[in-house]
Amino acid sequence: MAAFSETEVQFWMTKAVSWGENTSCSTLLDTSRHLNGLRSFLQQLLQGLQQMSSTSEAMRTFRFVGQFLGRLCWNPCVIADERSQSLLLRCLNCLYSAEPLNAVERKANMWIKNLLCHLISEEEGSVAHAMVKHAGISPERYHMDALEKVVSLMTEEVIKSCDGSPNSSARCSNGNINTMSTACIPLVTCCQAAPLIGALLKHSIICATSCVDEEFIEEVSKAWVSKRLVMEEEAVVALYCHNPVCLEGAALSLLESVLSDPKTVSQNLDKYVNESLLPQASALHCHIFLTVNEIYRNVLMEIDENIAGRALIQVYTNCFLQRLTALKPQDRLPLRAFFPNLPPSLLGPLLTAASEVPRTAWLDHLGWIRRSLQRVVESEEEDGDARAYQAVFDAWFLLVQCGFWVDTAAELLVLAESENSEALLWLLTFFHHPTNRGHQRSQQTVVAKEAWVHIRMLFHGRPPLPRHLCAMKDLLSSCLSRNLILHLFLNFAVFSHGPVSFTTEIIDKVLIDAGVKQRALWILSAIDCRLNRTAVSLEDRVQSRLKMLRETLLAPCAETLP
Amino acid sequence: MDAVLGRLQQVVELLVVSQLDCVNEWDHQTMLRAFEWAQYCEQVHARSHSNPALRSALESRLHDTNQRLRETLPSYSPVMLSELAQCQHKLLVNLLRNPSSPSSIIHVFSLDRKTAEQGLDMDQIPVITGKSALKLLCCSSDWTSYSGLQNETEVRGKLLKEHLKSILTQYGNENSARILLDSILHDSAGKTENLYGVIAAALLASDDDTNNVSRDVILDWLQIHDGCLSKLCRSLPPRLCCALSRESVTFRRGYCDVLKRWANNLEYDVMHSAWVPTCSITSEETVTFNVLFDRFRALLYSGSPVKEETETKLAELKVESGDFDVKGISVWTDLILKLKV
Repeated sequence: MAAFSETEVQFWMTKAVSWGENTSCSTLLDTSRHLNGLRSFLQQLLQGLQQMSSTSEAMRTFRFVGQFLGRLCWNPCVIADERSQSLLLRCLNCLYSAEPLNAVERKANMWIKNLLCHLISEEEGSVAHAMVKHAGISPERYHMDALEKVVSLMTEEVIKSCDGSPNSSARCSNGNINTMSTACIPLVTCCQAAPLIGALLKHSIICATSCVDEEFIEEVSKAWVSKRLVMEEEAVVALYCHNPVCLEGAALSLLESVLSDPKTVSQNLDKYVNESLLPQASALHCHIFLTVNEIYRNVLMEIDENIAGRALIQVYTNCFLQRLTALKPQDRLPLRAFFPNLPPSLLGPLLTAASEVPRTAWLDHLGWIRRSLQRVVESEEEDGDARAYQAVFDAWFLLVQCGFWVDTAAELLVLAESENSEALLWLLTFFHHPTNRGHQRSQQTVVAKEAWVHIRMLFHGRPPLPRHLCAMKDLLSSCLSRNLILHLFLNFAVFSHGPVSFTTEIIDKVLIDAGVKQRALWILSAIDCRLNRTAVSLEDRVQSRLKMLRETLLAPCAETLP
Repeated sequence: MDAVLGRLQQVVELLVVSQLDCVNEWDHQTMLRAFEWAQYCEQVHARSHSNPALRSALESRLHDTNQRLRETLPSYSPVMLSELAQCQHKLLVNLLRNPSSPSSIIHVFSLDRKTAEQGLDMDQIPVITGKSALKLLCCSSDWTSYSGLQNETEVRGKLLKEHLKSILTQYGNENSARILLDSILHDSAGKTENLYGVIAAALLASDDDTNNVSRDVILDWLQIHDGCLSKLCRSLPPRLCCALSRESVTFRRGYCDVLKRWANNLEYDVMHSAWVPTCSITSEETVTFNVLFDRFRALLYSGSPVKEETETKLAELKVESGDFDVKGISVWTDLILKLKV
């Protein structure tokens, strides 16, 4: 049984009564500011009512409920907010008796029906009533039209009140803007009100003395981040630019959605990233890019070996670079601005887009990347001080961001000869194990080479030999370098020549463990994004491999089947 | 066609029945069927927009049905053709207000989305949200247009104008437009001041069509309707009347006539050296001298050509009433003296 404290009930009853006295502007503004609290109270009330076995019991237990709900129904602010409206209606539904057993219940039913009637129609004898009655269209249509027109009028007023120039002769009528924005808090997710919401948002950004209510802006960012609101790109970028809390929320929310639903998100990672509008905003504003990176760097540092996080960073950076190059040269900052603290010798090779390098030159390009990285690593090994260590971490993070080059190296390893493999394996190892301390990089390099040899033998043998299959499974589940090995393995699965049936057999026998499958999905999604970018039509072979791999990975585990 | 008209008649009768006690015999299925019929009626009405033959057939059947029902039920209020567009809404309202309606009416309302009725297009959420969002926004904005209209009034005026325009273009029938205005006037008997504001907004609403037929129709209607124009001018502030005068010559002349009538009902009270109304102000035949003065002053500040026309008119009226230059004999002289024209 939900227990309400006497003070809580008193508080909200007093509020409801004072709001009900008159629907003046100040009443509505007060309601607007208390909406969050009201919603949680209504939620509790709803839960309490749902546990009642009859209306009579409900009225006895919650004596205030009739007056309370009744008064709230006359408050347009409460009704206009979709969440509190829904809670209110559901509470009323709880109090309605399908088969009333006594006078109290019959009366309650009539009262509820009257309330509902009031909610959908205008007061008789009023001009509004006459207009709706004779409009020749449904009341819904009439109210939508009227709402659109009011929104249009008010949007114009907001736009006219400030044009953003510092010496604007038009005085900013601050009082009105503040009132309007507070009143609009419940309407943030109402699609008819979208132009007004956008105009108020813009106003808060371009007008130096803007008085747009803070809670309004907060409500807008919460609605955007939790995907209850669709906004124009320009508005979102402005929001990110001027509201650090919103930007952080959006970055973390993207990460959360990535981590919480791998099966869905990994299939379309670049779509999710682009929908967040973070790449677009980052291309336009350097500080946004730096902030998002900072957040993701910290996450990466806390969660060791997080494949999903790395895939996200890689795809995000890829999308960002795409947007950046699409901007007009005069509108964009040089790349150095986005990657401070990194030497140009590193930025050069890593930030080159894969599409700008012909396939035949990939090996050379990767060699260049390797040499630049190695220089940083070697100076750390020599100096051993904190600054040098930081330099290695920064370089490694850049490699994570430009992970499409690592994927390229992995692809080349599928067909490479021994003499070319060394640089490629080095890159792969560095990517998965950046430092010697705690990661034993030198040991990993050896393991990587051995794994590569094993995988090559596995995929070149026709048919795949059982002992190779077993060895592969062991390697994938061992603690050492399992991500690196999985990475290599998947690239072989996608790019190696030979009939699909052989590859299918290998996959079926090797990728069994649920944890392995999950990590594999992420690696695959990064590969997919890279291939989409190169704008070269995928060979049928590669297409079918990717498709088949996905299907295998998404199918339920043998162990979990009943 | 006959089936359609038959169904229409049944629905109108249904709307009456839904207000009576006998609905307690309805079960859930009967109620659903009633809504389906009402929905059908709405669809027929929508089709009648592009089909004049259908429309006139509907009108005549509706007229007959209304007449018959009024004979049986003296308190019956006739259903207009335009109301057919909201049959389901009317039915719902009637049932909600009727204590005898089946208790499953609540499910039609779909309070809890999970138990919503399939097949019926009765989602009330948009109406509820739209209505309160409208109220919320109108209360929150203090700004008025250049002519002094509140947002809500302006919006309703625009909608009225649009509706009139569509009636006139579709049916080319000024009579329907007039009937509409009559009905609105009748139904808003409670709050006519708001109505006049809405009418003013409708007159001022800008328009693409150069003929501005709807504006003329409204002005005609105002003049035909006894005292309407005068009431409108009384309840609207001077600034608004000036805005209207600027927009329309017809209004300008009508307004002037109204002012003239008001002025003619003033007589000079020698004891108090002032012009006083000959009849009670509440009879709406006249206003005080000061009000008259304010209104003329406002007109003189309204820029050309209103200013010049007003000056000319005042001069004419002064001459007509004897061309006196001393106070206390002709109201026009006194006005002109005070206005310093």
